[in-house]
This record gives sequence, structure tokens and C-alpha cells, in this order.
Amino acid sequence: MKFDSLLVHYGELSTKGSNRKEFIRCLVHNVRVALKAFPVEIKGNRDYILIGLGDQKPEPVIARLQEVSGIQRISLIYKTETPIETIQEAATALIATQPGKTFKVETKRTDKTYPLDSYGISIAVADAILDHTDLEVDVHHPDIVMKVTLRPGECLLSCQDYPGLGGYPLGMNGKVTMLLSGGIDSPVAAYSLMRRGILVDCLHFASPPYTQMAVIDKLKDLLKQLNVYQNDIRLQVVPFTKLQEAIYAHVPEPYCITIMRRMMIRIAEKVAKKNHCLGIATGESIGQVASQTLQSIVTINDVTSFPILRPLCVSDKLSIIETSKRIKTYEISIRPYEDCCTIFKPKKPKTKPRIDEAERYEASFDYASLIEEAVEGITNIYLSGGEEVEGKQIVCPNPGDLVE
Amino acid sequence: MIYLDNAASTRPYREVLEEYVRHSQEDFANSNSKHYFGFATHSLLEKARKSVLTDLGVTDTHQALFCSGATEANNTVFQGIAFRYANRGKRILVGSTEHPSVLVTAHSLARLQGFEVVEIPVNAKGQVEPDTLASMMDKQTILVSIMAVNNETGAINDLPALAQVVHQFPKAFFHSDLTQSVGKMEMDYSGVDFLSFSGHKICAPKGTGVLVYRSKIGFESLHRGGDQEFGLRAGTVDVPGALALADALHRTCQEREAYIALAKTLFQQLKEGLSQIEEVVLNSDENGSPFVLNFSLRKHKASVVVEALSERGIYVSSVSACNSKGEPTSYVLAAMGKDPGDCANSIRVSFGHENTKEDVDAFLIALKEILTEVAPR
Repeated sequence: MKFDSLLVHYGELSTKGSNRKEFIRCLVHNVRVALKAFPVEIKGNRDYILIGLGDQKPEPVIARLQEVSGIQRISLIYKTETPIETIQEAATALIATQPGKTFKVETKRTDKTYPLDSYGISIAVADAILDHTDLEVDVHHPDIVMKVTLRPGECLLSCQDYPGLGGYPLGMNGKVTMLLSGGIDSPVAAYSLMRRGILVDCLHFASPPYTQMAVIDKLKDLLKQLNVYQNDIRLQVVPFTKLQEAIYAHVPEPYCITIMRRMMIRIAEKVAKKNHCLGIATGESIGQVASQTLQSIVTINDVTSFPILRPLCVSDKLSIIETSKRIKTYEISIRPYEDCCTIFKPKKPKTKPRIDEAERYEASFDYASLIEEAVEGITNIYLSGGEEVEGKQIVCPNPGDLVE
Repeated sequence: MIYLDNAASTRPYREVLEEYVRHSQEDFANSNSKHYFGFATHSLLEKARKSVLTDLGVTDTHQALFCSGATEANNTVFQGIAFRYANRGKRILVGSTEHPSVLVTAHSLARLQGFEVVEIPVNAKGQVEPDTLASMMDKQTILVSIMAVNNETGAINDLPALAQVVHQFPKAFFHSDLTQSVGKMEMDYSGVDFLSFSGHKICAPKGTGVLVYRSKIGFESLHRGGDQEFGLRAGTVDVPGALALADALHRTCQEREAYIALAKTLFQQLKEGLSQIEEVVLNSDENGSPFVLNFSLRKHKASVVVEALSERGIYVSSVSACNSKGEPTSYVLAAMGKDPGDCANSIRVSFGHENTKEDVDAFLIALKEILTEVAPR
């Protein structure tokens, strides 16, 4: 006898009373997508997702599930009938497969009509184990904890739990337009959003020939890595060269970056609304560079009333780097290609730009038509399961999320 | 596509590739096997060896060792000589504009084995002058490495004169990387002890290369484990690759005069076209190889211009990628005493036998357009 199933415990469900159905629907969908490559049976219900392993080894399945958001923990379990003799027999056989010398039995009984109470079940199971094995009881520091969960009509036995990613199932908290540069921060910001159930639709501003084609390849590689957390991703590339040249030609150097960011936000808002996104997200971290001081953020943010999410706004650089290493985007992010050419980097950028000044400089050229032109020229790249694909191959928890 | 990056790599000759495939399918025996099939393959290998030595004009004095390319050949020379002859002296001289496969390898011997590695300065044209070399030689020197033609600028070194200087010191060996000269110019290589080059720069497949060494000189092998290639490079020999390299070299040498004439025409045409662009300064001159023309931009960023050319399907090289974290710069141009702005903004155009006047025209038109379109640096 061996543990033959996995039990997926839902994440922050308790806080989501009325959204329970949506939570479960999204998570079951995401689990199915994540486990596509494994020959396992997936069944979701009100309380948990049960995954029948069959002949499949549990370890790779558990490892994959640990990358799916909305899962609190994963238990390796054996499902049995409820008569106490059956439970005793199964528990004894299963515990014999585990390494260790001491044990403890913990029982949770949701079926209140069961003849024995929780303590009674624990005693009965422990007695059986003591009778049939050499294990000894240690209730304080046991090597093995045999968990017995008694639900109406079924009993679940488990000895091992694995932590999940937490957060919400991807797709249940709407979607945002994510500004992706290719640096260290924006992929981490995207990951943070995904983990909290927000579907990420990516937008990149390309300024060839000032930026290189290699940047797009780098972005594709980053997104293929992020496919682990969001199986299907769209990258929209905005042709930004003309606008950037116009800024460079009309705006005093210290204000170039501020105005550039204002233009990016204007474009992002248009794109977001067109794509039915509920916000814009960036990898900004307050104080990190001139355009990310609070004063800069105020001036940049002034062009929109649309929400801008900044998941990393108060994160330390070191912890951002740590996360990027953990999600394996760091090595890609540090490739030398830059998203902004040195030609456009002011020597002394304004760290406290003023809204009225920015507006005055912007009035000196017709940026509105350049913005229209940029939005018109957007091209799409689709990535799914770590590969570049055609748009029609994209699947999301909600139809029409990334492809109309 | 307009390909003007032939110093980086070339398209293999079609006939050479066809023969390569045929030999791979028909002569697949291990050239080391002791049966008739193996002997037959081995004799093909020896034929390729002889052909290479003949084309280089060193049949009587040198031997050829087939390997994966110039980088491996250069590594073999440096490590092979350093490990064998450290007892004779620990000084190594290398040209300051050598390819990284020489410079980095030499400096690693300094770092790991305690050798004294000294870079030989070049003149304003990028050449090592024999007098300069003579002033740096001493009895401790065991190896001198100076390339025949520089890969970035096309500057030519006078190998026979330099060899004469080195050979006044009997303990010193002379190595030259021929990657940009072989098949592209007449030169007497007989005074050089070690010659290395890659096949893919002369229209052979990638992964082919040769180290030609003076037969009487022994050195340690980089790859141990078998007696292939006279015990100097263990591992089953890529006989079809060796044949392809020999074939490509032979074809190139046979067409050499025509190729050089074409390259000279294109060089002149490009030079004249560039002279009409105010911000261009040439880093190559007519005394150098006609296959390479290097110039710098005074107002624009070279990497941006190269990217813009690339968008139009025109392929050339620049020193660097656009990188805000420290601008890469050409150490070759710096060694020639060029201005730092020129060193960071150079473009290399390199010709091959497939290029035409129309290619150069198209390049010049595109370059002029781009220089008016893109923002200055």
C-alpha cells in the first residue's frame, strides 16, 4: 500500500466568501494546465482538489503544483473507507513505508455523526500502529505525524505536507497591463502580480535602432520563464522610436525621462482600456532611480486617473534580486542589452520634476498623433508553456483574456 | 541581405559542403582504425594535411594538426609551449592588438603559471615594428605571438622581418595567427614556427581549423587520451572537416589574385564613398588588407547605426552593443592611439568574394540615410 493521491488545499479562501466558486474554477483550470504533461486524474470540489496519481511518481507533480498560485499546501494522501478497522489497517500499512522511529496521530473530524470523536479515532489508530509496528509514540517531537481527516463518506490519511505558493488562483483578480523593460525589477513585479491572481498582459516600448532586436529575444526568454506561473502570456511591442526622438528634440535634457515615462503611461492607459485591463503595473521601486522618486512618480502619474500598481514600490533591491534568482529570471535580466539607449539617458536627470514644467515642455510638440501612431503600430508576441506560439494557441482561465 | 561581415564568418563554398557531406557518408571510418577502411580514411586525412602545407608553402619544414579552429590552435600553442619550455624562460611577448584567443590565453598563463606576459605596442597604423620587437626580446623570452592581419583594422604585420628578429634568440618560438591573412594575401610564412587559422573564414564549415607547426618542435598537447594527430590532439579526427578545410583553402588560394583585385576595388569604392561623409574617420589604410575597412563615426553611436543597418538587412560589425553600464570600446584602436570617442564608435566592413559593387553602393546609401535619420550621440 502507498500514498496514491495528492490533496491540494485552497489558499486564502476564507477571505473570499462569495467568490469561492470563482476561486475554485480558476484554480482547477490552472492546475489542469500546469499538469497537462502528467497522466493524472484531477477532480475539484468545494473543499479541495484531489489528484489521482496512478503510476505517476508524486515528486515532479508536487514540484509543479508548488508553482501554481492559490495553493496553500499539498498533501500526499491515501483515501480510504470510513469504518475504523479499515482506517487502522491502512494507517498501519502506510506508516510502515515512512522513515522514522516515533509517531503521533492527529485527527480532524468534519463528519460529526461518526461514532468516535477525534481523540477516540487517534487512540484507535495509534493502538493499531503500536500493535503492528516497532514505532513508539512521541507527541512532542514525532518523526512521523499520521494525519487522519474524516469527512462524510471518506477518510484521508497523510504523513507529508508540502507548502504551496499561496496567493490567489491566476485570473480571478482581473488583469493588468504590465510595463516590461527587461531589467531585474519588472519580471519580479509581474511574478508578484501573478502570484496574487492577477493576469499579466505585457507591454514593451522598443526604440530601434537605439535599442537592439536582442532585447526582444531577451524579453521572450524572460516571459518563457514566467510561463511557469502564467502559462500563457502576451507581449505587445510598441514602436516608440519616433516619440522618443521627438522628446529628445523638443524637451530639455533633464526632463527627457520624465516626459518619456508620461508618454509611456499615456500609451499604456490606451492599450489597457482597449484590452479591458483594469490597471497598469510597473516594476518601479521608490527612490531607485531619478524617475522613481516620489516627486517623479507624482509628475508621471499625473497623466492618468487609471490605477497604476507598483508591487515593488517599497521592496529592497536585494530582496528583488533574491526573488528574481528564485524565479530564475535574474540570469536573463542581467544580459547586457538595455531597454533604453545611452543616447537618451540624460546626464543629470531631474529628480524632482514639476507637473507644470512637464506640461509646458509637452506643449511644444504634437505628441498626441505620435501616441496614436505608436498604438496603431503595436505588434503581438505570444508565449505559452515556455514556447513562442501563435495567438490562437493561447488559453486563459477566462475566455478573451489575452486574445480576442 | 547584404553581408559585409566576412571577417566574422563566411558562407561555405557549395562544392566544399557537397564533398563534406559525401565524405561524411562514404568515408566514415575512424582514421585510427587498423583495417583497410580505416587506412583509406587515414590516407584521405594525410592528403588534406599535405594540401594545407602546400598551399601555405611550408611543405618541407612544417607539419599540420587539424583541430576545431584558431581559438583551439592558439590555446594549444600557448599552453603547449608554456608547459614544455617553462624551464627555458618565463617571458612571453604578444602583440597588443591580438585576438582575445591569444591575449586572454597569454594573460591566463601570467595569472595561473607565473609567466611574465608583455604586450608589444603597435604604431599608429596598428603594426608591430621589428625594431620595437627587437628592443623587447631577451634571453628569457620563449614565445612571441604576432598576428599576420588584424581582424578589426586589417593592419598587416611584416612576418618575415619579425621572424628574423625572433630567431636571433634561439630559445624563442614565433607564433602567428593567420586567420585574416590566409588565402587573402601573398606572404612568406616559412620563418614562422606556429601558424593557426580557422576554416570558416575561408568558406569552409565552422568547427574546422589547423595548427601548422615546425616539425622539429615538440610541445605538450591540450587534449590527452589518444595518439591521433601525432599524439598532439587526442580524439577521433574529423576527416571530412579536414578535407573540407583543405579544399576551401586550396580554392581560395587558386582564386587569390581575383579575390584580392575584387577586394581592392570594393575597398576603394567604399573609401571614396565614406570620404563624402563628414563625420567619418578611417582607421584602416591602403597598406592594410583590402578585405577589411574600419572607420569611426564622430557624431553618431556606432552600435545604433549598426542596429539600423541590420534592420535594413545590411550586416557589418561594430565594437560594441549599446550598454549604459560602461561603454565597450575597441582595445585595438586604443592601442593605435586613437581618440576614445573613435574607439567606442567604430564600424568594420569586411569583404568576401561574393560581394559586389552594388553591395557597397547599397551600404553607402543606407549609411547616409541612417546618419540623417538617427539622433546623434
